[in-house]
Amino acid sequence: MNRAVILALVLVVGGPWLAPYDPMEQNLLAVLLAPTWDHWLGTDHLGRDVLSRVLAGAPRSLGLALGCVGTAVALGCTLGLMAATGGRWLGALIMRGADLVLAFPGLLLALLLAGFLGGGVGPMLFGLTLTLWPQYARMTQAVARRALAEPPVEAARLAGFTTLAILSSLVLPVVLRALLPLATLGVGQAILSISALGFLGLGLRPPEPEWGAMINDLLPVLTEAPVQMAAPCLAILTAVLGLTLAGRTLLARQQHSL
Amino acid sequence: MVWLQLVATRLTQAVAMALVLATLCFGFVQALPGDLATRIAAARVGEDRLTPEIATRIRAQAGLDQPVLVQYGGWLADLARGELGRSLVTGEPVVAEFRYHAGHTLVLGLLGWALSYLIALPIGLWAGLRPGGWVDRISDAAAVLLASLPPFLTGIALISLFALTLTWLPPAGFGTWAHRVLPALTLALGLAAFAVPVIRTAVVEVRGAFYITYAQIKGLGETTAFRHHGLRNAAIPIVTYAALQMTFVIDGFVVIETLFNHPGLGAWLVKALLARDVPVILAASLAIGFLFSLVSLITDALCLALDPRARAASVRLGRGWSAR
Repeated sequence: MNRAVILALVLVVGGPWLAPYDPMEQNLLAVLLAPTWDHWLGTDHLGRDVLSRVLAGAPRSLGLALGCVGTAVALGCTLGLMAATGGRWLGALIMRGADLVLAFPGLLLALLLAGFLGGGVGPMLFGLTLTLWPQYARMTQAVARRALAEPPVEAARLAGFTTLAILSSLVLPVVLRALLPLATLGVGQAILSISALGFLGLGLRPPEPEWGAMINDLLPVLTEAPVQMAAPCLAILTAVLGLTLAGRTLLARQQHSL
Repeated sequence: MVWLQLVATRLTQAVAMALVLATLCFGFVQALPGDLATRIAAARVGEDRLTPEIATRIRAQAGLDQPVLVQYGGWLADLARGELGRSLVTGEPVVAEFRYHAGHTLVLGLLGWALSYLIALPIGLWAGLRPGGWVDRISDAAAVLLASLPPFLTGIALISLFALTLTWLPPAGFGTWAHRVLPALTLALGLAAFAVPVIRTAVVEVRGAFYITYAQIKGLGETTAFRHHGLRNAAIPIVTYAALQMTFVIDGFVVIETLFNHPGLGAWLVKALLARDVPVILAASLAIGFLFSLVSLITDALCLALDPRARAASVRLGRGWSAR
Protein backbone atom coordinates (compact mmCIF):
# COMPACT_ATOMS: atom_id res chain seq x y z
CA MET A 1 0.00 0.00 0.00
CA ASN A 2 2.91 2.33 0.70
CA ARG A 3 4.01 1.88 -2.89
CA ALA A 4 0.53 2.87 -4.09
CA VAL A 5 0.64 6.01 -1.96
CA ILE A 6 4.02 6.97 -3.42
CA LEU A 7 2.72 6.33 -6.96
CA ALA A 8 -0.31 8.52 -6.28
CA LEU A 9 1.86 11.33 -4.92
CA VAL A 10 4.16 11.11 -7.95
CA LEU A 11 1.10 11.45 -10.19
CA VAL A 12 -0.25 14.42 -8.25
CA VAL A 13 3.04 16.28 -8.20
CA GLY A 14 4.49 15.13 -11.51
CA GLY A 15 1.33 14.43 -13.52
CA PRO A 16 1.45 17.57 -15.65
CA TRP A 17 5.22 17.18 -16.00
CA LEU A 18 4.86 13.59 -17.30
CA ALA A 19 2.31 14.70 -19.88
CA PRO A 20 3.72 14.34 -23.42
CA TYR A 21 1.74 17.32 -24.79
CA ASP A 22 0.31 20.59 -23.52
CA PRO A 23 -3.11 19.52 -22.10
CA MET A 24 -4.75 22.75 -23.31
CA GLU A 25 -3.26 22.79 -26.83
CA GLN A 26 -5.92 22.33 -29.49
CA ASN A 27 -5.30 20.89 -32.93
CA LEU A 28 -8.47 21.10 -34.99
CA LEU A 29 -6.84 19.09 -37.80
CA ALA A 30 -6.52 16.06 -35.55
CA VAL A 31 -9.83 15.76 -33.68
CA LEU A 32 -11.19 12.49 -32.27
CA LEU A 33 -8.18 10.46 -33.40
CA ALA A 34 -8.18 6.82 -32.38
CA PRO A 35 -5.22 5.80 -30.16
CA THR A 36 -1.88 5.79 -32.02
CA TRP A 37 1.78 5.75 -30.96
CA ASP A 38 1.75 9.57 -31.00
CA HIS A 39 -1.44 9.83 -28.96
CA TRP A 40 -1.67 6.76 -26.71
CA LEU A 41 -5.26 7.50 -25.70
CA GLY A 42 -6.28 9.39 -28.83
CA THR A 43 -7.42 13.00 -29.06
CA ASP A 44 -10.66 14.68 -27.97
CA HIS A 45 -13.19 16.74 -29.96
CA LEU A 46 -10.81 19.73 -29.99
CA GLY A 47 -7.75 17.69 -30.91
CA ARG A 48 -6.24 17.78 -27.43
CA ASP A 49 -4.14 14.80 -26.30
CA VAL A 50 -6.30 12.78 -23.89
CA LEU A 51 -3.37 11.14 -22.04
CA SER A 52 -1.90 14.56 -21.28
CA ARG A 53 -5.26 15.81 -20.07
CA VAL A 54 -5.83 12.83 -17.78
CA LEU A 55 -2.32 13.22 -16.32
CA ALA A 56 -2.77 16.97 -15.92
CA GLY A 57 -6.09 16.26 -14.23
CA ALA A 58 -4.41 14.39 -11.36
CA PRO A 59 -3.39 17.45 -9.33
CA ARG A 60 -6.75 19.07 -10.03
CA SER A 61 -8.94 16.11 -9.04
CA LEU A 62 -6.79 14.09 -6.61
CA GLY A 63 -4.73 17.03 -5.37
CA LEU A 64 -7.74 19.24 -4.74
CA ALA A 65 -9.48 16.38 -2.94
CA LEU A 66 -6.43 15.89 -0.71
CA GLY A 67 -6.37 19.62 -0.03
CA CYS A 68 -10.06 19.73 0.89
CA VAL A 69 -9.89 16.75 3.23
CA GLY A 70 -6.60 17.96 4.74
CA THR A 71 -8.07 21.37 5.52
CA ALA A 72 -11.30 19.81 6.80
CA VAL A 73 -9.37 17.44 9.09
CA ALA A 74 -7.24 20.29 10.45
CA LEU A 75 -10.30 22.46 11.07
CA GLY A 76 -12.46 19.65 12.45
CA CYS A 77 -9.63 18.43 14.70
CA THR A 78 -9.00 21.91 16.14
CA LEU A 79 -12.69 22.62 16.72
CA GLY A 80 -13.31 19.12 18.07
CA LEU A 81 -10.46 19.46 20.60
CA MET A 82 -11.78 22.88 21.58
CA ALA A 83 -15.23 21.39 22.09
CA ALA A 84 -13.82 18.55 24.20
CA THR A 85 -11.67 20.73 26.46
CA GLY A 86 -13.33 24.14 26.41
CA GLY A 87 -16.27 25.20 28.52
CA ARG A 88 -19.81 23.91 28.14
CA TRP A 89 -20.94 26.86 26.05
CA LEU A 90 -18.04 26.72 23.62
CA GLY A 91 -18.55 22.99 23.21
CA ALA A 92 -22.27 23.36 22.64
CA LEU A 93 -21.71 26.19 20.14
CA ILE A 94 -19.24 24.18 18.06
CA MET A 95 -21.34 21.01 18.11
CA ARG A 96 -24.56 22.85 17.16
CA GLY A 97 -22.62 24.47 14.31
CA ALA A 98 -21.59 20.99 13.15
CA ASP A 99 -25.22 19.80 13.42
CA LEU A 100 -26.35 22.75 11.32
CA VAL A 101 -23.93 21.92 8.50
CA LEU A 102 -24.95 18.24 8.69
CA ALA A 103 -28.59 19.33 8.32
CA PHE A 104 -27.73 20.38 4.76
CA PRO A 105 -28.10 17.51 2.33
CA GLY A 106 -24.76 16.36 0.95
CA LEU A 107 -23.35 18.57 -1.73
CA LEU A 108 -25.99 21.33 -1.57
CA LEU A 109 -23.81 23.81 0.30
CA ALA A 110 -20.75 23.16 -1.88
CA LEU A 111 -22.95 23.36 -4.98
CA LEU A 112 -24.36 26.75 -3.99
CA LEU A 113 -20.97 28.18 -3.03
CA ALA A 114 -19.37 26.94 -6.25
CA GLY A 115 -22.30 28.42 -8.20
CA PHE A 116 -22.18 31.77 -6.44
CA LEU A 117 -18.42 32.21 -6.25
CA GLY A 118 -17.75 30.87 -9.76
CA GLY A 119 -16.16 27.41 -9.46
CA GLY A 120 -12.43 28.08 -9.27
CA VAL A 121 -10.03 26.14 -7.05
CA GLY A 122 -10.59 28.56 -4.14
CA PRO A 123 -14.42 28.33 -3.97
CA MET A 124 -14.30 24.54 -4.40
CA LEU A 125 -11.79 24.22 -1.55
CA PHE A 126 -13.90 26.54 0.62
CA GLY A 127 -17.23 24.87 -0.14
CA LEU A 128 -16.05 21.28 0.27
CA THR A 129 -14.09 22.05 3.45
CA LEU A 130 -17.20 23.68 4.87
CA THR A 131 -19.29 20.57 4.14
CA LEU A 132 -16.68 18.09 5.34
CA TRP A 133 -15.38 19.45 8.67
CA PRO A 134 -18.33 18.47 10.95
CA GLN A 135 -17.82 14.71 10.67
CA TYR A 136 -14.16 15.09 11.72
CA ALA A 137 -15.07 17.50 14.52
CA ARG A 138 -17.63 15.04 15.91
CA MET A 139 -15.23 12.12 15.76
CA THR A 140 -12.44 14.21 17.35
CA GLN A 141 -14.68 15.35 20.17
CA ALA A 142 -15.85 11.82 20.94
CA VAL A 143 -12.37 10.28 20.82
CA ALA A 144 -10.74 13.18 22.71
CA ARG A 145 -13.31 12.95 25.50
CA ARG A 146 -12.55 9.28 25.97
CA ALA A 147 -8.79 9.90 25.84
CA LEU A 148 -9.04 12.75 28.36
CA ALA A 149 -10.59 10.40 30.92
CA GLU A 150 -7.64 7.97 30.77
CA PRO A 151 -5.20 7.57 33.69
CA PRO A 152 -2.12 8.88 31.78
CA VAL A 153 -3.89 12.21 31.24
CA GLU A 154 -4.77 12.38 34.91
CA ALA A 155 -1.15 11.68 35.82
CA ALA A 156 0.13 14.32 33.39
CA ARG A 157 -2.30 16.86 34.78
CA LEU A 158 -1.19 16.13 38.35
CA ALA A 159 2.44 16.38 37.28
CA GLY A 160 1.67 19.94 36.19
CA PHE A 161 1.69 19.71 32.40
CA THR A 162 -0.35 22.36 30.57
CA THR A 163 -3.55 21.46 28.73
CA LEU A 164 -1.84 22.22 25.42
CA ALA A 165 1.03 19.84 26.20
CA ILE A 166 -1.39 17.10 27.24
CA LEU A 167 -3.47 17.59 24.12
CA SER A 168 -0.53 17.50 21.74
CA SER A 169 1.30 14.54 23.30
CA LEU A 170 -1.45 12.32 24.69
CA VAL A 171 -4.71 13.18 22.92
CA LEU A 172 -3.82 14.30 19.40
CA PRO A 173 -2.01 11.06 18.41
CA VAL A 174 -5.03 8.99 19.44
CA VAL A 175 -7.38 11.32 17.58
CA LEU A 176 -5.31 11.32 14.40
CA ARG A 177 -5.06 7.53 14.43
CA ALA A 178 -8.85 7.34 14.70
CA LEU A 179 -9.35 9.91 11.92
CA LEU A 180 -6.95 8.35 9.40
CA PRO A 181 -9.30 5.67 7.94
CA LEU A 182 -12.18 8.14 7.86
CA ALA A 183 -10.04 10.72 6.08
CA THR A 184 -8.77 8.16 3.56
CA LEU A 185 -12.35 7.27 2.64
CA GLY A 186 -13.12 11.01 2.68
CA VAL A 187 -10.54 11.77 -0.02
CA GLY A 188 -12.26 9.24 -2.28
CA GLN A 189 -15.64 10.83 -1.62
CA ALA A 190 -14.15 14.28 -2.27
CA ILE A 191 -12.89 13.12 -5.67
CA LEU A 192 -16.44 12.00 -6.47
CA SER A 193 -17.81 15.37 -5.32
CA ILE A 194 -15.27 17.37 -7.32
CA SER A 195 -15.94 15.33 -10.44
CA ALA A 196 -19.71 15.68 -9.92
CA LEU A 197 -19.39 19.47 -9.69
CA GLY A 198 -17.13 19.46 -12.74
CA PHE A 199 -19.63 17.31 -14.62
CA LEU A 200 -22.46 19.73 -13.78
CA GLY A 201 -20.40 22.62 -15.14
CA LEU A 202 -20.21 24.21 -11.69
CA GLY A 203 -16.75 23.00 -10.67
CA LEU A 204 -13.45 23.78 -12.34
CA ARG A 205 -14.33 25.37 -15.66
CA PRO A 206 -13.37 24.12 -19.10
CA PRO A 207 -10.74 24.06 -20.59
CA GLU A 208 -9.31 22.97 -17.20
CA PRO A 209 -8.51 19.26 -17.54
CA GLU A 210 -10.51 18.14 -14.50
CA TRP A 211 -11.75 14.55 -14.84
CA GLY A 212 -15.46 15.28 -14.28
CA ALA A 213 -15.41 18.28 -16.61
CA MET A 214 -13.61 16.16 -19.26
CA ILE A 215 -16.39 13.56 -19.09
CA ASN A 216 -18.98 16.29 -19.54
CA ASP A 217 -16.98 17.62 -22.52
CA LEU A 218 -16.79 14.22 -24.19
CA LEU A 219 -20.39 13.12 -23.52
CA PRO A 220 -21.80 14.42 -26.85
CA VAL A 221 -19.18 12.40 -28.78
CA LEU A 222 -19.54 9.24 -26.64
CA THR A 223 -20.17 6.89 -29.58
CA GLU A 224 -17.30 8.23 -31.71
CA ALA A 225 -14.74 8.38 -28.90
CA PRO A 226 -15.22 5.47 -26.48
CA VAL A 227 -11.50 5.21 -25.60
CA GLN A 228 -11.16 8.92 -24.93
CA MET A 229 -14.25 8.75 -22.72
CA ALA A 230 -13.04 5.68 -20.84
CA ALA A 231 -9.74 7.34 -19.86
CA PRO A 232 -11.02 9.95 -17.35
CA CYS A 233 -13.69 7.48 -16.16
CA LEU A 234 -11.05 4.89 -15.34
CA ALA A 235 -8.90 7.55 -13.70
CA ILE A 236 -11.74 8.44 -11.31
CA LEU A 237 -12.60 4.80 -10.70
CA THR A 238 -8.99 3.78 -9.98
CA ALA A 239 -8.37 6.71 -7.63
CA VAL A 240 -11.59 6.29 -5.66
CA LEU A 241 -11.40 2.49 -5.59
CA GLY A 242 -7.81 2.61 -4.35
CA LEU A 243 -8.68 5.05 -1.60
CA THR A 244 -11.78 3.10 -0.58
CA LEU A 245 -9.85 -0.17 -0.33
CA ALA A 246 -7.04 1.53 1.59
CA GLY A 247 -9.59 3.08 3.96
CA ARG A 248 -11.29 -0.27 4.51
CA THR A 249 -7.96 -1.95 5.26
CA LEU A 250 -7.04 0.78 7.76
CA LEU A 251 -10.45 0.51 9.38
CA ALA A 252 -10.23 -3.28 9.68
CA ARG A 253 -6.70 -3.06 11.11
CA GLN A 254 -7.90 -0.55 13.68
CA GLN A 255 -10.85 -2.66 14.77
CA HIS A 256 -8.51 -5.64 14.98
CA SER A 257 -6.10 -3.88 17.32
CA LEU A 258 -8.82 -2.67 19.65
CA MET B 1 -42.13 13.82 25.29
CA VAL B 2 -39.43 12.05 23.29
CA TRP B 3 -41.41 12.60 20.11
CA LEU B 4 -41.89 16.28 20.88
CA GLN B 5 -38.14 16.74 21.44
CA LEU B 6 -37.37 14.97 18.20
CA VAL B 7 -39.72 17.17 16.18
CA ALA B 8 -38.47 20.31 17.93
CA THR B 9 -34.80 19.48 17.21
CA ARG B 10 -35.41 18.74 13.54
CA LEU B 11 -37.68 21.77 13.13
CA THR B 12 -35.09 24.10 14.65
CA GLN B 13 -32.47 22.68 12.33
CA ALA B 14 -34.71 23.13 9.30
CA VAL B 15 -35.47 26.76 10.20
CA ALA B 16 -31.77 27.47 10.81
CA MET B 17 -30.96 25.90 7.46
CA ALA B 18 -33.58 28.01 5.69
CA LEU B 19 -32.12 31.10 7.34
CA VAL B 20 -28.60 30.23 6.15
CA LEU B 21 -29.84 29.59 2.61
CA ALA B 22 -31.80 32.85 2.50
CA THR B 23 -28.83 34.79 3.86
CA LEU B 24 -26.49 33.18 1.32
CA CYS B 25 -28.79 34.11 -1.56
CA PHE B 26 -29.29 37.65 -0.22
CA GLY B 27 -25.54 38.10 0.14
CA PHE B 28 -25.03 36.82 -3.39
CA VAL B 29 -27.55 39.29 -4.83
CA GLN B 30 -25.88 42.15 -2.93
CA ALA B 31 -22.41 41.11 -4.06
CA LEU B 32 -23.28 40.92 -7.75
CA PRO B 33 -21.68 43.72 -9.74
CA GLY B 34 -23.92 46.39 -11.24
CA ASP B 35 -27.17 47.97 -10.11
CA LEU B 36 -29.80 45.48 -8.94
CA ALA B 37 -32.81 47.65 -9.93
CA THR B 38 -31.48 48.02 -13.48
CA ARG B 39 -30.99 44.28 -13.74
CA ILE B 40 -34.50 43.49 -12.51
CA ALA B 41 -35.91 46.09 -14.90
CA ALA B 42 -33.94 44.56 -17.76
CA ALA B 43 -35.25 41.12 -16.89
CA ARG B 44 -38.82 42.40 -16.74
CA VAL B 45 -39.13 44.64 -19.82
CA GLY B 46 -36.16 43.47 -21.89
CA GLU B 47 -32.76 45.12 -22.42
CA ASP B 48 -33.85 47.22 -25.42
CA ARG B 49 -36.85 48.88 -23.77
CA LEU B 50 -35.02 49.72 -20.55
CA THR B 51 -35.10 53.38 -19.42
CA PRO B 52 -33.66 54.96 -16.24
CA GLU B 53 -37.24 55.87 -15.19
CA ILE B 54 -38.31 52.25 -15.10
CA ALA B 55 -35.25 51.38 -13.04
CA THR B 56 -36.00 54.20 -10.60
CA ARG B 57 -39.61 53.09 -10.27
CA ILE B 58 -38.57 49.51 -9.59
CA ARG B 59 -35.98 50.69 -7.09
CA ALA B 60 -38.68 52.51 -5.10
CA GLN B 61 -41.22 49.71 -5.56
CA ALA B 62 -38.92 46.94 -4.40
CA GLY B 63 -37.45 49.07 -1.62
CA LEU B 64 -33.95 48.84 -3.09
CA ASP B 65 -33.23 52.43 -1.95
CA GLN B 66 -33.53 51.33 1.70
CA PRO B 67 -30.55 50.43 3.94
CA VAL B 68 -29.22 46.87 3.50
CA LEU B 69 -30.44 45.65 6.89
CA VAL B 70 -33.99 46.85 6.19
CA GLN B 71 -33.88 45.10 2.81
CA TYR B 72 -32.62 41.92 4.51
CA GLY B 73 -35.51 42.06 6.98
CA GLY B 74 -37.97 42.57 4.15
CA TRP B 75 -36.47 39.66 2.22
CA LEU B 76 -36.85 37.34 5.20
CA ALA B 77 -40.41 38.56 5.86
CA ASP B 78 -41.39 37.87 2.24
CA LEU B 79 -39.88 34.44 2.54
CA ALA B 80 -41.74 33.68 5.77
CA ARG B 81 -44.98 34.55 3.98
CA GLY B 82 -44.04 32.13 1.21
CA GLU B 83 -43.50 34.85 -1.40
CA LEU B 84 -40.62 33.59 -3.46
CA GLY B 85 -41.05 35.97 -6.39
CA ARG B 86 -40.68 35.22 -10.07
CA SER B 87 -37.96 33.48 -12.03
CA LEU B 88 -35.58 36.00 -13.60
CA VAL B 89 -35.31 33.81 -16.70
CA THR B 90 -38.85 32.66 -17.50
CA GLY B 91 -40.80 35.33 -15.57
CA GLU B 92 -43.09 32.63 -14.19
CA PRO B 93 -43.98 32.59 -10.46
CA VAL B 94 -41.44 30.39 -8.70
CA VAL B 95 -44.13 28.52 -6.76
CA ALA B 96 -45.80 27.28 -9.94
CA GLU B 97 -42.48 26.05 -11.37
CA PHE B 98 -41.67 24.42 -8.05
CA ARG B 99 -44.82 22.28 -8.12
CA TYR B 100 -43.99 20.99 -11.58
CA HIS B 101 -40.39 20.07 -10.74
CA ALA B 102 -41.16 18.66 -7.27
CA GLY B 103 -43.61 16.20 -8.77
CA HIS B 104 -41.00 14.83 -11.17
CA THR B 105 -38.43 14.52 -8.37
CA LEU B 106 -40.83 12.71 -6.03
CA VAL B 107 -41.80 10.15 -8.65
CA LEU B 108 -38.18 9.49 -9.61
CA GLY B 109 -37.05 9.39 -5.98
CA LEU B 110 -39.71 6.94 -4.84
CA LEU B 111 -39.16 4.77 -7.90
CA GLY B 112 -35.39 4.70 -7.37
CA TRP B 113 -35.71 4.07 -3.65
CA ALA B 114 -38.21 1.22 -4.09
CA LEU B 115 -36.10 -0.33 -6.85
CA SER B 116 -32.97 -0.13 -4.68
CA TYR B 117 -34.63 -2.15 -1.91
CA LEU B 118 -35.93 -4.62 -4.46
CA ILE B 119 -32.28 -5.15 -5.43
CA ALA B 120 -30.59 -4.74 -2.05
CA LEU B 121 -32.88 -6.64 0.36
CA PRO B 122 -32.65 -10.12 -1.20
CA ILE B 123 -28.92 -9.77 -1.91
CA GLY B 124 -28.13 -8.33 1.52
CA LEU B 125 -30.20 -10.98 3.32
CA TRP B 126 -28.65 -13.80 1.33
CA ALA B 127 -25.12 -12.49 1.87
CA GLY B 128 -25.80 -12.05 5.59
CA LEU B 129 -27.31 -15.50 6.04
CA ARG B 130 -24.37 -17.15 4.24
CA PRO B 131 -21.37 -14.94 5.10
CA GLY B 132 -18.28 -15.90 3.11
CA GLY B 133 -20.39 -17.58 0.44
CA TRP B 134 -20.23 -16.69 -3.24
CA VAL B 135 -23.19 -14.26 -3.08
CA ASP B 136 -21.49 -12.45 -0.20
CA ARG B 137 -18.14 -12.19 -1.99
CA ILE B 138 -19.57 -11.08 -5.34
CA SER B 139 -21.99 -8.58 -3.82
CA ASP B 140 -19.23 -7.09 -1.64
CA ALA B 141 -16.96 -6.55 -4.64
CA ALA B 142 -19.83 -5.13 -6.70
CA ALA B 143 -20.85 -2.78 -3.90
CA VAL B 144 -17.31 -1.40 -3.48
CA LEU B 145 -16.99 -0.95 -7.24
CA LEU B 146 -20.36 0.81 -7.57
CA ALA B 147 -19.68 3.05 -4.59
CA SER B 148 -16.43 4.13 -6.26
CA LEU B 149 -18.25 5.29 -9.37
CA PRO B 150 -19.76 8.76 -9.52
CA PRO B 151 -23.51 8.43 -10.24
CA PHE B 152 -23.14 10.10 -13.63
CA LEU B 153 -20.71 7.35 -14.73
CA THR B 154 -23.17 4.61 -13.75
CA GLY B 155 -25.75 6.55 -15.73
CA ILE B 156 -23.50 6.89 -18.77
CA ALA B 157 -22.73 3.17 -18.64
CA LEU B 158 -26.44 2.32 -18.53
CA ILE B 159 -27.17 4.75 -21.37
CA SER B 160 -24.50 3.25 -23.59
CA LEU B 161 -25.69 -0.27 -22.84
CA PHE B 162 -29.49 -0.01 -22.87
CA ALA B 163 -30.08 3.07 -25.04
CA LEU B 164 -27.20 3.19 -27.54
CA THR B 165 -26.23 -0.48 -27.97
CA LEU B 166 -29.44 -2.41 -27.31
CA THR B 167 -31.78 0.55 -28.08
CA TRP B 168 -34.41 -0.81 -25.68
CA LEU B 169 -34.93 2.50 -23.87
CA PRO B 170 -34.66 6.22 -24.68
CA PRO B 171 -31.31 7.73 -23.57
CA ALA B 172 -32.68 10.95 -22.06
CA GLY B 173 -35.66 13.28 -21.85
CA PHE B 174 -39.01 12.78 -20.22
CA GLY B 175 -42.66 12.10 -20.94
CA THR B 176 -43.29 8.37 -20.82
CA TRP B 177 -42.53 5.77 -18.16
CA ALA B 178 -39.79 4.38 -20.37
CA HIS B 179 -37.90 7.63 -19.83
CA ARG B 180 -37.96 7.05 -16.09
CA VAL B 181 -36.44 3.55 -16.14
CA LEU B 182 -32.77 4.45 -16.66
CA PRO B 183 -32.61 7.39 -14.22
CA ALA B 184 -34.43 5.34 -11.57
CA LEU B 185 -32.11 2.38 -12.16
CA THR B 186 -29.03 4.63 -11.87
CA LEU B 187 -30.33 6.00 -8.59
CA ALA B 188 -31.25 2.52 -7.35
CA LEU B 189 -27.83 1.02 -8.15
CA GLY B 190 -26.07 3.83 -6.28
CA LEU B 191 -28.36 3.37 -3.29
CA ALA B 192 -28.08 -0.41 -3.32
CA ALA B 193 -24.28 -0.16 -3.26
CA PHE B 194 -24.61 1.44 0.18
CA ALA B 195 -27.58 -0.60 1.38
CA VAL B 196 -26.27 -4.12 0.66
CA PRO B 197 -23.28 -3.98 3.08
CA VAL B 198 -25.47 -2.41 5.79
CA ILE B 199 -28.16 -5.08 5.46
CA ARG B 200 -25.54 -7.83 5.35
CA THR B 201 -23.75 -6.61 8.51
CA ALA B 202 -27.04 -6.16 10.36
CA VAL B 203 -28.11 -9.70 9.51
CA VAL B 204 -24.72 -11.19 10.44
CA GLU B 205 -24.69 -9.40 13.78
CA VAL B 206 -28.21 -10.37 14.68
CA ARG B 207 -27.63 -14.01 13.73
CA GLY B 208 -24.66 -14.14 16.09
CA ALA B 209 -26.59 -12.56 18.96
CA PHE B 210 -27.22 -14.53 22.13
CA TYR B 211 -31.01 -14.23 21.89
CA ILE B 212 -31.02 -16.09 18.59
CA THR B 213 -28.90 -18.86 20.09
CA TYR B 214 -31.32 -18.95 23.01
CA ALA B 215 -34.32 -19.16 20.71
CA GLN B 216 -32.68 -22.07 18.91
CA ILE B 217 -31.89 -23.85 22.18
CA LYS B 218 -35.53 -23.28 23.08
CA GLY B 219 -36.30 -25.38 20.03
CA LEU B 220 -37.18 -22.92 17.28
CA GLY B 221 -35.90 -23.61 13.79
CA GLU B 222 -33.24 -21.32 12.33
CA THR B 223 -35.67 -19.50 10.02
CA THR B 224 -38.40 -19.12 12.63
CA ALA B 225 -35.93 -17.81 15.21
CA PHE B 226 -34.64 -15.23 12.76
CA ARG B 227 -38.12 -14.20 11.67
CA HIS B 228 -39.46 -13.79 15.20
CA HIS B 229 -36.48 -12.34 17.05
CA GLY B 230 -33.99 -11.19 14.42
CA LEU B 231 -35.85 -9.14 11.82
CA ARG B 232 -36.83 -6.23 14.06
CA ASN B 233 -33.33 -5.97 15.52
CA ALA B 234 -31.74 -6.13 12.10
CA ALA B 235 -34.12 -3.41 10.88
CA ILE B 236 -32.74 -0.78 13.28
CA PRO B 237 -29.33 -0.18 11.66
CA ILE B 238 -30.90 -0.57 8.21
CA VAL B 239 -33.44 2.16 8.90
CA THR B 240 -30.83 4.39 10.57
CA TYR B 241 -28.69 4.11 7.50
CA ALA B 242 -31.56 5.25 5.29
CA ALA B 243 -30.87 8.83 6.41
CA LEU B 244 -27.29 8.67 5.17
CA GLN B 245 -28.59 7.12 1.99
CA MET B 246 -30.91 10.02 1.43
CA THR B 247 -27.85 12.28 1.38
CA PHE B 248 -26.71 10.27 -1.57
CA VAL B 249 -30.14 10.39 -3.18
CA ILE B 250 -30.05 14.15 -3.05
CA ASP B 251 -26.55 14.42 -4.56
CA GLY B 252 -27.66 11.77 -6.99
CA PHE B 253 -30.79 13.67 -7.97
CA VAL B 254 -28.85 16.74 -8.96
CA VAL B 255 -26.40 14.78 -11.10
CA ILE B 256 -28.76 12.12 -12.47
CA GLU B 257 -31.51 14.57 -13.40
CA THR B 258 -29.01 16.76 -15.20
CA LEU B 259 -27.54 13.78 -17.05
CA PHE B 260 -30.92 12.40 -18.15
CA ASN B 261 -32.47 15.83 -18.69
CA HIS B 262 -35.21 14.89 -16.24
CA PRO B 263 -37.09 18.04 -15.14
CA GLY B 264 -36.87 17.56 -11.35
CA LEU B 265 -35.71 19.81 -8.52
CA GLY B 266 -32.02 18.95 -8.98
CA ALA B 267 -31.90 19.82 -12.66
CA TRP B 268 -33.94 22.95 -11.88
CA LEU B 269 -31.34 24.02 -9.29
CA VAL B 270 -28.38 23.41 -11.61
CA LYS B 271 -29.98 25.34 -14.46
CA ALA B 272 -30.77 28.24 -12.11
CA LEU B 273 -27.20 28.21 -10.74
CA LEU B 274 -25.76 28.35 -14.26
CA ALA B 275 -28.16 31.22 -15.16
CA ARG B 276 -27.73 32.92 -11.75
CA ASP B 277 -31.51 32.98 -11.36
CA VAL B 278 -31.55 33.80 -7.63
CA PRO B 279 -35.28 33.35 -6.79
CA VAL B 280 -35.21 29.89 -8.36
CA ILE B 281 -31.88 29.01 -6.68
CA LEU B 282 -33.39 29.88 -3.30
CA ALA B 283 -36.65 28.04 -3.93
CA ALA B 284 -34.95 24.91 -5.27
CA SER B 285 -32.36 24.72 -2.50
CA LEU B 286 -35.03 25.33 0.15
CA ALA B 287 -37.16 22.58 -1.36
CA ILE B 288 -34.25 20.10 -1.44
CA GLY B 289 -33.22 21.09 2.10
CA PHE B 290 -36.71 20.67 3.53
CA LEU B 291 -37.17 17.37 1.74
CA PHE B 292 -33.98 16.16 3.40
CA SER B 293 -35.10 17.43 6.85
CA LEU B 294 -38.42 15.66 6.44
CA VAL B 295 -36.74 12.37 5.54
CA SER B 296 -34.35 12.70 8.50
CA LEU B 297 -37.33 13.29 10.78
CA ILE B 298 -39.16 10.23 9.47
CA THR B 299 -36.01 8.13 9.87
CA ASP B 300 -35.46 9.25 13.46
CA ALA B 301 -39.12 8.59 14.27
CA LEU B 302 -38.92 5.11 12.75
CA CYS B 303 -35.85 4.33 14.84
CA LEU B 304 -37.62 5.41 18.00
CA ALA B 305 -40.66 3.35 17.09
CA LEU B 306 -38.57 0.24 16.36
CA ASP B 307 -36.16 0.45 19.27
CA PRO B 308 -37.52 0.84 22.82
CA ARG B 309 -33.93 1.14 24.08
CA ALA B 310 -33.45 4.39 22.14
CA ARG B 311 -36.68 5.76 23.60
CA ALA B 312 -35.55 4.89 27.12
CA ALA B 313 -32.03 6.26 26.55
CA SER B 314 -33.18 9.62 25.25
CA VAL B 315 -35.60 10.01 28.17
CA ARG B 316 -32.88 9.15 30.66
CA LEU B 317 -30.38 11.58 29.15
CA GLY B 318 -33.08 14.21 28.84
CA ARG B 319 -32.11 15.34 25.38
CA GLY B 320 -33.30 15.05 21.83
CA TRP B 321 -32.60 11.90 19.94
CA SER B 322 -30.61 12.15 16.75
CA ALA B 323 -29.83 9.27 14.48
CA ARG B 324 -26.74 10.89 13.04
